[in-house]
Amino acid sequence: MSNASSEAALGSHRLGGATLFALSARHVTKRFPGVLANDHVDFDLLPGEVHTLLGENGAGKSTLASVLCGLYKPDEGAVLRNGTQIRLTSPRHGLQNGIAMVHQHFRLVDRFSVAENVVLGHRNLPFRLRTNDLENQVAEVAERFGLPLDPKASVGDLSAGQRQRVEIVKALYQGAEILLLDEPTALLAPPEVEKLFETVRAMTQAGKSVVFVSHKLGEVVDISDRVTVMRDGRVTGSVARGEADTRKLAELMVGRDIDLSPRRSRVAAQDTLLHLDNVGLTRDGVDHISQVSFSVRAGEIVGIAGVSGNGQRELAEIVAGLQAPTSGEILINGARVNGIGIRNVRKAGLAYVPEDRLGTGLAPSLSIVDNLVLTRKRGFFVDRKAALDEAEAFIKQLEIKTPHAHTATRKLSGGNSQKVLLAREIFAAGDNSRVLVVCSPTRGLDVGAVEAVHKLLDEARAAGKAILLISEDLDEVLTLADRVMVLYRGSVVHEALGSEVDVELVGLAMAGLS
Amino acid sequence: MNVGNWRVDLEPRLTSPKWLYAAVPIGSLFCAFIVGGVFLAFTGHSPIGTFALLIDRGFTSTRGITNTLGTATPLICTGLAAAFAFRMNLFNIGEEGQMYLGMIGSAWAGIALAGYLPGFAAVPVVLLTGACTGALWVLVPAVLRAKMGTSEIVSTLLLNYVALNLVNYFIFGSRGFFRDPTTSFPQGRVIEASARLSSFGSTRTYPTVIIAVGLAVGLYWFMKRSNYGYETSVLADSPNTARYAGMNATKLTLSVLLFSGALAGLAGAMYVVGPAGKVDPGLLQVGFGYAGIVVAALARYNFMAVVLTAILFAGLREGGASLQISTNPVPISIAVVLQGAVLLFALGGEVFRRNRLRVRRVQQTVGA
Ligand SMILES: Nc1ncnc2c1ncn2[C@@H]1O[C@H](COP(=O)(O)OP(=O)(O)O)[C@@H](O)[C@H]1O
Ligand SMILES: [Mg+2]
Repeated sequence: MSNASSEAALGSHRLGGATLFALSARHVTKRFPGVLANDHVDFDLLPGEVHTLLGENGAGKSTLASVLCGLYKPDEGAVLRNGTQIRLTSPRHGLQNGIAMVHQHFRLVDRFSVAENVVLGHRNLPFRLRTNDLENQVAEVAERFGLPLDPKASVGDLSAGQRQRVEIVKALYQGAEILLLDEPTALLAPPEVEKLFETVRAMTQAGKSVVFVSHKLGEVVDISDRVTVMRDGRVTGSVARGEADTRKLAELMVGRDIDLSPRRSRVAAQDTLLHLDNVGLTRDGVDHISQVSFSVRAGEIVGIAGVSGNGQRELAEIVAGLQAPTSGEILINGARVNGIGIRNVRKAGLAYVPEDRLGTGLAPSLSIVDNLVLTRKRGFFVDRKAALDEAEAFIKQLEIKTPHAHTATRKLSGGNSQKVLLAREIFAAGDNSRVLVVCSPTRGLDVGAVEAVHKLLDEARAAGKAILLISEDLDEVLTLADRVMVLYRGSVVHEALGSEVDVELVGLAMAGLS
Repeated sequence: MNVGNWRVDLEPRLTSPKWLYAAVPIGSLFCAFIVGGVFLAFTGHSPIGTFALLIDRGFTSTRGITNTLGTATPLICTGLAAAFAFRMNLFNIGEEGQMYLGMIGSAWAGIALAGYLPGFAAVPVVLLTGACTGALWVLVPAVLRAKMGTSEIVSTLLLNYVALNLVNYFIFGSRGFFRDPTTSFPQGRVIEASARLSSFGSTRTYPTVIIAVGLAVGLYWFMKRSNYGYETSVLADSPNTARYAGMNATKLTLSVLLFSGALAGLAGAMYVVGPAGKVDPGLLQVGFGYAGIVVAALARYNFMAVVLTAILFAGLREGGASLQISTNPVPISIAVVLQGAVLLFALGGEVFRRNRLRVRRVQQTVGA
C-alpha cells in the first residue's frame, strides 16, 4: 500500500544507491505445529530508528522478534545484519552481533541484586568481581539512558517497570546496538510508559535502533519512526511516521474498518442500583480498600481506572460477595448485601465478569454449553437442552467462532471466550440481574474483539443495566465510562465525568501524584 | 530424530480423532501380546498355542468367563472407586485398605445383625454396612484434605497398612469376634446364611456382578446428568471457577472421597456375601485395591470403560493362572508379564494419541 512512502522514508539513508539496514528479515518463514507463525516476512530496521511491529495477538510478532535475536531458527529465509547474512544459533550469538531482546516475560533472578542480574551471563568478567566497580558501571549505563535504578537493590523487590529497566540496562551493558522490546508497555502505568519512551529516544539518539513490539494502537503513533503491521503471520503494510493514523493501522491489523471512538450513555441515568457507602477491607493490618463510596445508576457505566494491584481485585470481589468488607455497607437495589456470599448476591441482582476469564469466570475444560449454566439456578438434574439452544443462539448472535457449542472454552480465542462469559453474565443471568461488575474485559484481546466487547457493554448499558467497569486499561475506561474514578492504594483519589476527563490529571492520579 | 535422509518427528495433535480412543487400547493390547509371544518363544512355549489356551481359559470357555466375572466383580468396584476420586483430582490410593474395612464391616453385620433381619434385607444391609465402613476409613484423610488441603495421597496410602494389620490381628493375633471359635486353625467366623448369596449354578460368578455393572452404568449416567456431577466437574477443572460460582468446595471434596471409600468398601463386602462368607485374609494376597487404580487409569476414569478393563484384567489373571495346570505348564509369571506389557503399551500408546508421528525427507535448507 504505502510502498512509495516507505521508499521515501528510506531515501535519506541510501548510501551510494544501496540502503544499509542495521537488521533485516528476508522471506522469514517459521512454522509451529498447525500454525504458520511467520509467512515469508520481510522486515527492515534502519540505524537509529524506532520501528514498531504492530499486530493482534498471535499475528507472529514475538516469533519474528525471536528469529531476529537468534532464539528461533527460521524454517526458510534469512536474517541480515548490515547487509550481510548472519546465521544466528542462539541469543548469545545474537548478542555478539549486537542484537538483544527484552522478552514479554522477564528473565531475571529475584534474589540477585540489580547489578548482579545485569552482569549475569556476561562472558568477560574479571576473575574477582569488584562489586563496587560493577555497581558503578551499571549505574553509569543506567544514567546515560535515563533509567533510574539502584544497582544494589534486590530484583525481587522491584516493580514491573523497574524490572523492565533492569532488562534494558542489561542489554545495553552487554553492548547491544539493536534492542527488540516485546510488548514493553503491557505491564506499565501511563507515567512509566512516558519514561520508557524517553529511554527509547535516548537510545536512538545514541545511534541504537529499537524494534518496538506492540498490539496497542494508541501508543505506537507517538514513538515510532515507522510502523510495520502484521496479521496472521504476514506483513500487511508498513507506514512511515506522520502517515500513521490509528484508524488506518487498525484496519491493517484487523483487515476491516474498526470503530473505537468513545461511547457514552445516550439516556439519562435513572435510579441507583448499586451503592457503596464507606466500604473498607483491612486484612492482616493492611488496608486493601479504604473508605470507598460511590453509586452506579441504571443506564450508566462507572469506570474505575488504576494501575494493577491498587485494590481493584479486592473491590470487585467485595461487591460480588466473594469477600466480606470489614467496614461500610453495600446495597444492591436498596438491599444490604454485605458478606452474604456470592450466591445470594447474585440472587439480589448482580452479575460478575471477573478479570481472569478462563481460570475463574469459565471452567476451561468444560464446553460452552456447560459454562452457560455455571451461574444459573440448576435443579437436581442439569437442563442442558435449554442451555444448548441458548448457546447456539449466542454463537450466532455474537459471532462466536467455535466448531460447535460443545467445544471446551479453553480452545476458544480470548475474544471468543470473553464473548461466552459476557453473554452468560449479561443475557443469561436472569431477569432481575441489573447490576454488572466487569473487570478488565478486554485485557489481552485483539482490536476486533475489543470493539465487539465494548459494543456489548454499551448495549447492556442502553438496556438499563448499572455497570461498574474496573479496568487497568485507561483508554478503555475513557472510551466507555460516563463517570471515571481512579483507585490508588485502595482509595478513590480522583473523580471526573467521562466527557470532561483531563487525561493528564488521571494519569498523575494513577501514579499517586495528585 | 534423523534417520539417513529422513527426519522423524512427534508433533502434538491439536485434536485427537475419536477413533483413536478405541484404536490406541486395541493396538496396545496387540503389541502386548507380541511382546508376550516373544517371551514365550524364548522360554520354549508355543506362543499361539499358549495364547489360545489363555484366551479359552480366561474368556471364551464357560468355565473361564464365569471365573473371570467372579474375579472382576470386586475389581470393578475398586476401579470405580479410584476412577470416581481420580477424575476429581483427588488421589485416593487407599482402596486396598478401604476394601479390607468393607470386609470387616460387612462381616460384622453378617454375624451380628443378619440374624435379626428379615431374609430379603440381610444382604443389602450387609453390603451397605461394608460400604459405610469403607467410607469411614477414608473419613480422616478426607476431612484433612477438604478442610486443610493436606495431601490425601500419603494419608490414604498409610491407612492401607493399618487396615492390613487390622485384618491380620483379627484373624491371627487375637481370639476375638471375627475369629471362628470352633477351629484351631485361625480363620474367620462365617456369617449368617441369610446374608450370603449363592453363585449362579456351579460357577464362581455371584449376583453381585449385576450390582457392580449396574453401579457403573448408574454412576456414568448420574455424573453426566446431575447437578452433583456438574459441580464436581467444575471443581475438578478449576477450583477458582467453583468458588466464583459459589459452590461449596469443602462439601464436594468430602463427599467425593467418602463415596470413593464406600465403593472400595463395597468391593470387600461383595467378597464377604459372595465367595468368602467371612473375614478372609486371602483377600490380602490378591491386591484388588491397587489393581483397581490401574484399571481406572487404563479406563481413563471412564466408568463404563472400567467394567471392560476390569474384565480384561481378571481374564488375564484367571487364564494365566490356569496355564500352570496345562500339559506344558507355563508359569504364572507369563500372565504377570502380559499385564505389565498391557500397562506399558497403554501408557506408551497415549503418546500416539496426543502426538502425530511425522516422517519427512530432510531438505537442504539455505538458511539453517
Ligand atoms: N513456541 C510455540 N509453539 C507453538 N506455537 C507457537 C509458539 N510460539 C508461537 N506460537 C504460535 O504462533 C503464532 C504466532 O505467535 P506469536 O509470535 O507469539 O504472536 P504475537 O507475539 O504476535 O502475539 C500463534 O498462533 C501462536 O499460537
Ligand atoms: Mg507476543
